[in-house]
Amino acid sequence: MPRTQKKGAIVAGFLAPHPPHLVYGENPPQNEPKSQCGWEQLRWAYERARKSLDALKPDVLLVHSPHWITQQGHHFLGVPKLSGKSVDPIFPNIFRYTFELNVDVALAEACCAEGARQGLYTKMMRNPNFRVDYGTITALHMIRPQWDIPVVGLSANNSPYYLSTEEGLEEMDRLGRATRTAIEKLGRRAVLLASNTLCHWHFHEEPALPEDMSQEHPQSLSGYQWDMRMIDLLRQGHTKEVFRLLPQFIDEAFAEVKSGAFTWMFAAMGYPEIPAELHGYGTVIGTGNAVMEWNLERAGLSKPASKTRASRRAIRQAA
Amino acid sequence: MAVVSAFLVPGSPLPYVKRDNPPWGKIATGLERAGAALVQSKPDVILLYSTQWIAVLDQLWQTRPRVSGLHVDENWHEYGELPYKLKIDTRLARACVAATGTIGVKSKAVNYDGFPIDTGTIVAANFLNPGGKIPLVLASNNLYHDFALTEKLGRLAARLAGKQKKRAAVVGVGNFSGAFFRHEIDIAKDKIVAPKYDRWNKKILALLQAGDGKGLSAALPEFAAKGQADMGFKHGAWVLGALGRKFTGAQVHAYGPLYGSGGAVVEFILK
Ligand SMILES: [Fe+2]
Repeated sequence: MPRTQKKGAIVAGFLAPHPPHLVYGENPPQNEPKSQCGWEQLRWAYERARKSLDALKPDVLLVHSPHWITQQGHHFLGVPKLSGKSVDPIFPNIFRYTFELNVDVALAEACCAEGARQGLYTKMMRNPNFRVDYGTITALHMIRPQWDIPVVGLSANNSPYYLSTEEGLEEMDRLGRATRTAIEKLGRRAVLLASNTLCHWHFHEEPALPEDMSQEHPQSLSGYQWDMRMIDLLRQGHTKEVFRLLPQFIDEAFAEVKSGAFTWMFAAMGYPEIPAELHGYGTVIGTGNAVMEWNLERAGLSKPASKTRASRRAIRQAA
Repeated sequence: MAVVSAFLVPGSPLPYVKRDNPPWGKIATGLERAGAALVQSKPDVILLYSTQWIAVLDQLWQTRPRVSGLHVDENWHEYGELPYKLKIDTRLARACVAATGTIGVKSKAVNYDGFPIDTGTIVAANFLNPGGKIPLVLASNNLYHDFALTEKLGRLAARLAGKQKKRAAVVGVGNFSGAFFRHEIDIAKDKIVAPKYDRWNKKILALLQAGDGKGLSAALPEFAAKGQADMGFKHGAWVLGALGRKFTGAQVHAYGPLYGSGGAVVEFILK
């Protein structure tokens, strides 16, 4: 069982992209296919993030993945232990991973209930034969390969695709606030993982050798420029400006943050105007990926008080 | 012609996992009727395209000789599992992989233990091919392929079946109107999300029943846009391609709502 404290708090949030190539490049025993090398900058970025996470000693990791798509509602993993073999449907040649994870079901239930209280349609996933999606597994492996911290997995309702981007992201804002309330109520020390790629323009063919790094570079110059502009704003702590630009970034860079994880995480953290730590950036089959950290504890923002309500209001006004 | 029967069926798991709900049970019964017709056509192979098998790089084809497992739908997990046991016509699938270069498509064979088979493929195979006796060719839906290219893929698969002297049943798995309810509904009172989608679905069904190929060609682009046809109705393109657009009519075994989207079980009349 997770250690509990009097009142819970989000101690950090990470942008934790999930290209399966990173697991393939690392060659952990859980993954069947073996590589020679590959995507080192991103893998080393995750190494830095792993150290940070280790120092934070969280009770639970919450991960929102764009590859568990639920058309009816926001769903939460709700089975104490889930295991199986995850084969990536797009890259089965490089990702066939045997996993086993523990779920913080009580926190998942609390998030589900708080989401409903925010007017969202939410549901618990109770089927023990459920196969966890490869986005969730990749993000979790890359940030914590020991698999020793319980998890809350959230699905992507994809409301930003079905509704307008703005309406959909407003739902994700509510989901984020609900998540924060649940964490505080249950007294967890929580770390949030937004599993999103930035610019998502990609090549349409894989090199014969997937890890042939001589073929790896940004697919689009404008997409790369968008990524650098957003990362730089985040590094300077200009959160408000990032969220003002977000719909345009999504449209012009085909950014995967459209699926909502990024907005969910920031809403839960209270849209802190603190500089992000960039652990590293790299492309995978042409898409832009950044591993970034917002350490709320270090910034003195991990107290469960609602101090950040004002900044949240300011963000919404700016949008 | 190699094609001996052709069908359009919905890929939702609801008729399979929750047929005791009357609106979905009606579709399940229709699927069983289509299955009986398929078996009666005595095919050597089923050429199946599911809109839910998503590909983004190459055109993927299943080439593992036996594929079996227990799938849980990512959205409808509360209604239980979808078991499957499929036999693949690997010779024909490999021929498809080798030949798509002629229409400008790069293909890849998929032969991996544990590869996730999509809900639509499983539901269609379980209803139309109970016991998995008839071998299948499974084709993916590449998101970057349009209607015309998918039609070419269907034509190619049927031509290659003919080349191997095989009688082929062709199946396109997907919805008619793809708009759905996003929130909780009373499932016993399920209905098409909006009357305009219902009208569009019925218009397309009537054109199919009348065997009006010209009318269908004219209506399909607008159906895709205004009727929110599932994935641009590319599962229809697959079947029409395999038929060379030659059919004289269609029998609608069932039509109704699947959590708001349009589900239709259609058997093409070929003579
Ligand atoms: Fe992704």
